[in-house]
Amino acid sequence: MVDINMTLVAQILNFLILVVILTKVAYKPLMKALAEREEKIANSIKSAEQDEIAAKKLLVDYQKQLASARIEAQEIVDKATKLAAEEREAGIAETRAEIERMRKSAQADIDRDRELAVAKLKGEVVALSMAAAAKIITSNIDEKVNEQLVSEFIDKLDAEKIGGLPC
Amino acid sequence: MHEIGAHHVAQIAGFSFNMDTLYMTWLAMAVVILIAFMATRNLKLVPTGWQSVLEMIMSALLDQIDATMGPKGRKLAPLIISLFLFILISNWLGLIPTLTSPTSDVNTTFGLALMIVLMLHILGVYFKGMNYIKHFFQPFALFVIINIIEEVAKPITLAFRLFGNILAGEILIIILLMLVPIWMPVPSVVWLAFSIFVGVVQAFIFTMLSMSYLANAVKDDHHD
Repeated sequence: MVDINMTLVAQILNFLILVVILTKVAYKPLMKALAEREEKIANSIKSAEQDEIAAKKLLVDYQKQLASARIEAQEIVDKATKLAAEEREAGIAETRAEIERMRKSAQADIDRDRELAVAKLKGEVVALSMAAAAKIITSNIDEKVNEQLVSEFIDKLDAEKIGGLPC
Repeated sequence: MHEIGAHHVAQIAGFSFNMDTLYMTWLAMAVVILIAFMATRNLKLVPTGWQSVLEMIMSALLDQIDATMGPKGRKLAPLIISLFLFILISNWLGLIPTLTSPTSDVNTTFGLALMIVLMLHILGVYFKGMNYIKHFFQPFALFVIINIIEEVAKPITLAFRLFGNILAGEILIIILLMLVPIWMPVPSVVWLAFSIFVGVVQAFIFTMLSMSYLANAVKDDHHD
């Protein structure tokens, strides 16, 4: 059962042959495959990390851009509001000035018309007075008739309604 | 009756060979090579089938090699992995009726153990030179006796542990078949199932011990 013979040497040789064959057939290709896989995984991890860093950078950039855009928009709105306020102020002032001007010109028109009317009235009064005077002179018959004529004239004046004006 | 553990001895060129052991060894080699061939025939990035099986065994052993032997251990990795696969398949071969394990012949186990121990001393001298020889005489010269006994015990324990376990397993398979009637196969089946486990464990023990012996020669220990 336990007899040692040349089988021992043969077995060592057999095993060494097996080692050589397995190294060629299995070990080297498998180690190569393992190394390739390791490399691929390492590369994947590396690229994933790089992608993450790039994404973070991009996010920060976008946030910065967003913030600056917001500030810019605020500035534009402020400017527009200010401009609108200024324009409105200017419009109001202009309108006021226009109103003032119109009022003044209306006043001037009124004054002129009144003066004109007064002058006209004066002229008429004078003419009437002259006419009345002529009448009095021509029909200067007596004191009684004279007095009647003047009162008639005055009544006529009232009847023609020149009143309302401060003359 | 078949005598358990007897071998068919042939005389070739004046030397005697156990032909049954040699046939079984060649069969085991063929199976291992076939598995290796099937595993590496179509290598894929994501392993499937035999490739994943072989890769699992390989990476487990490579982890052990890196842990026990250090950086130089990688050079011995093909030897260690082949050793494990060969012993595993050899152990399992004996579980198939009419076949016997090559490892139930002491010539096989002692041959492998001697090869490992010879390799250990040769590599020890090659990598460490005089320091390797000197370490047998430490801490003082008389220790050489204990150290030599230890070195002699290494191949013997390694060889007979494997031989004994596998031969005992095969003997028990035969005895169980004789003792228990054929309509009561439970003990035989249980023992066969256990023998599959024993085959893995013994292959693993042989490989791990070889690894740790070889680590003595290969590992850089600067702290001495």
